[in-house]
Amino acid sequence: MATAQDSYLNLVSHPVAREIAGRFGLPRPAVLRRYRPGEPLLPGPVLVLGGSGADALAGPLPDLGLQIRRQAAHGERLGAIVAVLDEVAGPADLAASALAVGAALRELAPGGRIVTVSRQACETLPPAAAAARQGVEGLLRSLARELRGGATGNGILLGDGVDVDAPGVTGALRFLLSARSAYVDGQFLLVGSTDGQPAAEPERPLAGHTAVVTGAARGIGAAIAEVLRRDGADVVVVDVPAAGEQLAAVANRIGGTALQLDITRPDAGARIIEQAGRHGRIDIVVHNAGITRDKLLANMDAERWDAVLEVNLAAPLRLNEALLASNLLGPAPRIVCLASTSGIAGNRGQTNYAASKAGIIGMVRSSAPLLAARGGTINAVAPGFIETEMTARMPAAARQVARRLLPSLQQGGLPRDVAEAVAFLSGGAAAGINGQTLRVCGQSLVGA
Amino acid sequence: MATAPQSQPIRDAVVIGGNRIPFARANSAYTGASNQDMLTAALDGLVARFGLQDERIGEVAAGAVLKHSRDFNLTREAVLGSALSPETPVYDLQQACATGLETVIGLANKIKLGQIESAVAGGVDSASDAPIAVSEGLRTVLLELGRARSTKQKLAALARLRPRDLAPHAPSTAEPRTGLSMGEHQALTTAAWKITREAQDELALASHANLAAAYGRGFFDDLITPYRGQLRDGNLRPDTSLEKLAKLQPVFGKSLGEEATMTAGNSTPLTDGASAVLLGSEDYARRNDLPMLARVVDAEAAAVDFVHGREGLLMAPAYAVPRLLERNGLSLPDFDFVEIHEAFAGTVLCHLAAWESEEFCRNKLGLDSPLGSVDRNRLNVAGSSLAAGHPFAATGGRIVATLAKLLHEQAGAEGRRGRGLISICAAGGQGVAAILEAC
Amino acid sequence: MSPAAGTAGFREVRLPELPSVPRLLAQAAATAARERITGGARPDGLPAVRHTVADVQVDLEQLTRFQHLVGGTVRDTLPSAFLHTAAFPVAMSVLARGDFPLPLPGLVHLANRVSQRRPVHFIEPLAFSAWVENLRGHHAGTRVDVRTEVSAAGGTVWEGRSEYLAKGVFRPGLDSTERPPREDFRPPVPTARWWLGPEAGRDYAAVSGDFNPIHLSTLSARLLGMKRSIAHGMYLAARVLADLEAAAGGSHEWEIRFAAPVYLPAAVALRIEDLAGNGHWTGSRFTGWGEHSRRLHFTGTVSALA
Repeated sequence: MATAQDSYLNLVSHPVAREIAGRFGLPRPAVLRRYRPGEPLLPGPVLVLGGSGADALAGPLPDLGLQIRRQAAHGERLGAIVAVLDEVAGPADLAASALAVGAALRELAPGGRIVTVSRQACETLPPAAAAARQGVEGLLRSLARELRGGATGNGILLGDGVDVDAPGVTGALRFLLSARSAYVDGQFLLVGSTDGQPAAEPERPLAGHTAVVTGAARGIGAAIAEVLRRDGADVVVVDVPAAGEQLAAVANRIGGTALQLDITRPDAGARIIEQAGRHGRIDIVVHNAGITRDKLLANMDAERWDAVLEVNLAAPLRLNEALLASNLLGPAPRIVCLASTSGIAGNRGQTNYAASKAGIIGMVRSSAPLLAARGGTINAVAPGFIETEMTARMPAAARQVARRLLPSLQQGGLPRDVAEAVAFLSGGAAAGINGQTLRVCGQSLVGA
Repeated sequence: MATAPQSQPIRDAVVIGGNRIPFARANSAYTGASNQDMLTAALDGLVARFGLQDERIGEVAAGAVLKHSRDFNLTREAVLGSALSPETPVYDLQQACATGLETVIGLANKIKLGQIESAVAGGVDSASDAPIAVSEGLRTVLLELGRARSTKQKLAALARLRPRDLAPHAPSTAEPRTGLSMGEHQALTTAAWKITREAQDELALASHANLAAAYGRGFFDDLITPYRGQLRDGNLRPDTSLEKLAKLQPVFGKSLGEEATMTAGNSTPLTDGASAVLLGSEDYARRNDLPMLARVVDAEAAAVDFVHGREGLLMAPAYAVPRLLERNGLSLPDFDFVEIHEAFAGTVLCHLAAWESEEFCRNKLGLDSPLGSVDRNRLNVAGSSLAAGHPFAATGGRIVATLAKLLHEQAGAEGRRGRGLISICAAGGQGVAAILEAC
Repeated sequence: MSPAAGTAGFREVRLPELPSVPRLLAQAAATAARERITGGARPDGLPAVRHTVADVQVDLEQLTRFQHLVGGTVRDTLPSAFLHTAAFPVAMSVLARGDFPLPLPGLVHLANRVSQRRPVHFIEPLAFSAWVENLRGHHAGTRVDVRTEVSAAGGTVWEGRSEYLAKGVFRPGLDSTERPPREDFRPPVPTARWWLGPEAGRDYAAVSGDFNPIHLSTLSARLLGMKRSIAHGMYLAARVLADLEAAAGGSHEWEIRFAAPVYLPAAVALRIEDLAGNGHWTGSRFTGWGEHSRRLHFTGTVSALA
């Protein structure tokens, strides 16, 4: 659905061009494995490495339709390698698992997955344990950069009191193994609670849920609306009245309802609650609406600064307040906010935008306990370079650098890659993930 | 005695909501868009607003005043091109400028009778994509050619063709029986009621101010879906003033000389646009989690004899409204909102003057005393046709959706069920009035 | 056929069929020319003859074209103006007689008065008869009334009286009347406007058979001393009646009096108003004038027959 296109990627997908690109040392980005309902979770069996934690982790996996291998068999293409490192207590504990993964890497199929499962390093730990746990992150992030063929590496961090067989861990693992996480690379998901449950209908995990998506007339917002609908949600798409024609087209394409609304209006929360509330309750809210008004800070004016902060940060803050104050939030509400890698690593000319997006990350972290008290979660998704109408307007050279050189996947993401992450965080399987910011950036250098 | 056939008891029909595309001045944003295109856009926006995708609506009715012969099934074609279920039945209707309101009335009645659960009423008109016909002479020759069997007959038919027959005929807003345009007719009525230029300009100014204010507070956010880059009604002039309006030259009734008062500022321009209104039974609205804005209470149509000089062309609503009020035991102050279609400022003011006139009310309406005054603060409070423009058949849908939302807002704010009156004049000396009541 | 009152003693001339108007016009023009050369005198009085054509069948196609041209509805009953038109050749045959005292070319139409007794269906065989009476003076010449009757199934269904003026022709024994004071005409508020193109005269000639050159073109009109072609008086009447006869019903009478001729092309403003303002229609008054010239063209009334 995205009108923006990566023609280089299309070109080098052709065998001859691919050969030429290889001879000249040009990047040879892979066509990423992307989710289609009904397809197997992985292109091959999953090798689960580790001790007793690995056994516990592997327990529910056959239910996901996966074949489990506890040891690599030579010559068998693996769909994924999961390294369970939940018991590392000192630096020496890393070697065995790290090298075992390394030995099996050759067998990893294109589009394969590496997932580490380890415990979160926190201040209360003995230094050696904290060092080992933190070490896993460096190991995984570097390993992810060594992967080719559209394979990705990500990690799951277990919070205090969360075991490897917690539903949230299974849910996160399923997401990371699946094609839904195609452009998520080098990232860690923290499962902080034992909440969550597998979806009754795995193909329609959001069935019966009502979702609101702001900024849904085009680009990432429209993709989010489509994916939420594909996953079963009733979707209310919101955008400014001026984008109403495209918004209506999105609503009619996905079978949702359109709400033309400037979210900076004082009564925006009330209007959203009124329209979405018709369905009885609001289960999912995706704060996607955002604008850019780029200028070097030296040239920045109040109008540009205020507009960006108002739309990107102040409006979501007000909407959340209104939602939390209403009695129409569902029993397990999910709020997902769109942050940005600019908000993490900064970006020249985007002081206002980066401030607003970093603000989102702070808002999410601080709002997490409020949502938890209501049985819900709030998280952010931080996209990197995504092929949209907005990025299509970037200068060509900057666009190629952003696509090719920065992400280890050597390509920009698609709006639906962001949407898949949003949909995952909106579902019951992600109940244990709260207050987090998940980057969907193809492991861009930006922000490490 | 035979038993009467079993029928459903009369129930309520409610306005659920509406949608229109912004109205554009003729030959501007919608040039090239046909009636079918615009009606489809209005329907699609309505479908999107209320999640009606692939839904089989009980019935859809709409129409256009300026209609191509190819558009004999205009509304059905629009529905087939829309996101509604292709199994939705449809009919076309035409009652000149009252088309839109009449579709609401007819479909609401079907809902009230239990014949359908849901309905979409609407209308569309394009002055930019107006049909152009061949002359009567050419048409006659072409028809005869079609009937001719032999070459000789064909040549005979062709021989009757005259050069002047080749000139195309564009439609005009002239009344067929009088040859006078609507504006010229109204100019005569305006002069007969001695409506001043100032009063007309003030009404026009109020229309622009009210429409601009309604946009400003986001009133139209859920009533309009942009189309072809047109975000707002193209005729709206938020910065107009009495001084600017006073500078305009009269365009109608020039034969009246000094008495000519009707300008482009206090008359509606030729406009393109489309509107649609979603109606349903209360049960339908509840089952589908849809809002209920207002009930369609009652309606009345009237017509006047303007051919024989007995009444002004656009004065029929002046007769429809009193009849409607009497049947419902209501008087003008019982209405919280009064929507009088501003075909011309003079039309509205002549109606107000007529209802205040003892002579008119006694002689023409048979009333003992004047019908009364309309509180100007309740008149066209969200603007009307002078500011929004007037794509003939689309105006009824605009007014119904606007009034229903006004009533719903008021009910929410004040907690009472207010009433609204609609009055729309139409070509051919016709007029339709209707009452809505907040749910 | 029973002769109407006032024609007792008239000789009845039965014509075998409807005469051709162009031929009558040509014949009358020839007579007039010959008179100018030979100085032959016309009789002083009117011929006491009554011309009659029986068993006339209306041409349905002509009826349809007539009804469309004057803006009427195509119905199976005959508009009263159409009956005037249908019977016109018979009237013309009287005016073209050698013993008719006034020259036919240049006769000016002053007024019409018509009584339609009942609706006439197009399938009814009709008898037309015509005679002249009431030769009298006028400040600009000599006037005469042309009477026409239409009968069907043995009874009179339609009666017409057309008043003509022979401009500049003064007959001995007929006093010329005083020129009446010119009335100041102030155009009232119109209720309609007709746009009459230059072809309006030719078009009406084609459906009525009245090919008088003064209606056909500027050139032909100039030959007869007009500055431009003028609209047929009966066309103007027929257009007003198209709007009013439906209200008047099958039994009504109307009259029209012509003031200034309508030179083509023209924008004619029209006002129609009720005779009585009591809400019950008893009749309408109508006035036509030049929208731009503001000169009065015609006035008239239509009313129900008691």
